[in-house]
Amino acid sequence: MGHKPTITDSLQFPAESRLPQILFGVGGAGLITSVIGYFTDADHFFFSYLVSFTFFTGIALASIFMVMFHHITRSKWGVVVRRIPETFGGNLWIWSIFFIPILLGMDTLYHYWTNPLAFDPTSPEYDKIVAGKEAYLNVPFFIIRQVVYFAIWGYVGRRLYKASIELEKTGDWGITTLMRKLSAFPIMLFAFTIAFASFDWLMSLDPHWFSTMFGVYFFAISFQSFWAIMILMVYYLHSKGLLKNTIGQAHIYDLGAWLFAFTIFYAYIAFSQFMLIYYANLPEETLWYYHRMEGSWKYILYGTLLCRFALPFLVLLNREQKHRKKVLIFVASVVVIMHFLELYWIAMPMLDKHGIEFTWMDISIFVGLGGVFFGLFFRQFKKHSMIPENDPKLEACLEKSYHH
Amino acid sequence: MSTKETMTNDSQELYGILAEFKNPKALIDASEKVVEAGYDKFDTYAPFPIHGIDKAMKLPKSKLGWIVLGHGLLGFSGAIAMMYFMSVIDYPINISGKPFFNAPAWVPIIFELTVLLSAFGAVFGMFFLNGLPRLNHPLFNIERFKKATDDGFFVCIEAKDSKFQADLVRKLFEEAGATHIEEVYD
Repeated sequence: MGHKPTITDSLQFPAESRLPQILFGVGGAGLITSVIGYFTDADHFFFSYLVSFTFFTGIALASIFMVMFHHITRSKWGVVVRRIPETFGGNLWIWSIFFIPILLGMDTLYHYWTNPLAFDPTSPEYDKIVAGKEAYLNVPFFIIRQVVYFAIWGYVGRRLYKASIELEKTGDWGITTLMRKLSAFPIMLFAFTIAFASFDWLMSLDPHWFSTMFGVYFFAISFQSFWAIMILMVYYLHSKGLLKNTIGQAHIYDLGAWLFAFTIFYAYIAFSQFMLIYYANLPEETLWYYHRMEGSWKYILYGTLLCRFALPFLVLLNREQKHRKKVLIFVASVVVIMHFLELYWIAMPMLDKHGIEFTWMDISIFVGLGGVFFGLFFRQFKKHSMIPENDPKLEACLEKSYHH
Repeated sequence: MSTKETMTNDSQELYGILAEFKNPKALIDASEKVVEAGYDKFDTYAPFPIHGIDKAMKLPKSKLGWIVLGHGLLGFSGAIAMMYFMSVIDYPINISGKPFFNAPAWVPIIFELTVLLSAFGAVFGMFFLNGLPRLNHPLFNIERFKKATDDGFFVCIEAKDSKFQADLVRKLFEEAGATHIEEVYD
């Protein structure tokens, strides 16, 4: 009490670390290997790519969202870990080039509505339901929307990152006003763009189906796994001997509590979407779940219920468990794996209709995109301090201590 | 008019000894001394929550969480049992071909009853652990104790403490820097 907290750790990620290069190497190798898969099974290639792309993009979007509400609410709890999501979000503008393969694969992924015959009433391939959605589901408008999304995300993510770096360099606390301005209105834009992006990327794979909850569902799954990634990142830094005294038990407890809270939020949203469709029992809605409960697909559905809700909920229910290293690493890893499987379960049944058909491409593309995603992260993370120095709330954050 | 304060006689039962301290810091220090001296039937009173007082008093972790968990599980299993009895045993109705054991449709009911009983457990468990409701408390016999809602910081060691000896308690409070010490009669 009373004494000013002092930082005893080095705040610089080791400059000599070759981690970004290693990750880029792994990522490049993964992606190049996957290109072979494109020539052997192009359909599977594009679907696998979509799953991994939405996985990592979802993490980056959740990161920007977390930074925004941290600024808007003038929070102090997460200042020491804020640079991690800031960096994820700050890279989103470069990351957008990895959307190009999805544009190239549109004829495969979104063949229901990229086929012009589907809109032609005289054609035998005419699809009345899809034709009714032509105003939204057409290729030019799809591409325009993607440009708008990534322009907004890339710009806001970059500006928030830059503002934080500038505050660190200049120590000008007036920049916090800019940060709040960059967060207040854009957070609303984010709500819309994330929802519509999920409609575009995942829901329009099966344009006969619709769920008005799908946007918040995509947000809920991404945001839950974001906290799991944050926990794993912090423990990774600790394992390298970094920020061991700066990110303390109180901060880790907060991350554990967030993971717990958004486990419940995830379950609430995912189950609500399922239950409304199950209860109403309308054929055009139930069919989507019907396909996803066929054959071995149902194991992923039950797996999410058990491993993504029941397990984290019961394990983290006790307060003491929310800061135990082994418990958190275990739960966070399970959540991250289940997040991948759930995205897989959303997208893949369009291709493998009667059961799971894992291919090596699912792994190689995930490793490839993951290597690039984290390579970009550590390349940027190395350049500046690992925590936002000179932030007005930093001291209050460091002062936090865990009460037993 | 407070007459009880002056009416201290042997026919009344001693409840404990109350000491007033100047400020929250003194209260925390005094609680630590009381714990050190080995008393465990004592309590502290202050107009506002004091950070760290539970630590100074060496209070064990509240049992409330377990009470809530018990009630929550009761609500959970009670809801399943209720729905099972109603929809499977007592009055099964075929609703759009769904099974009688219609688990997804029961989830809202199971959830609500779990939350309801957990909330009951939390509120009434808190009452129970605090010995509430009660109509009066011996400390209210002390005129000075009214300051506990304004600017008074008190410690009271109860007479039922196994180590309680009035003169020793008084001495401890004096050493701890109490500004006022008085006996509380029931």
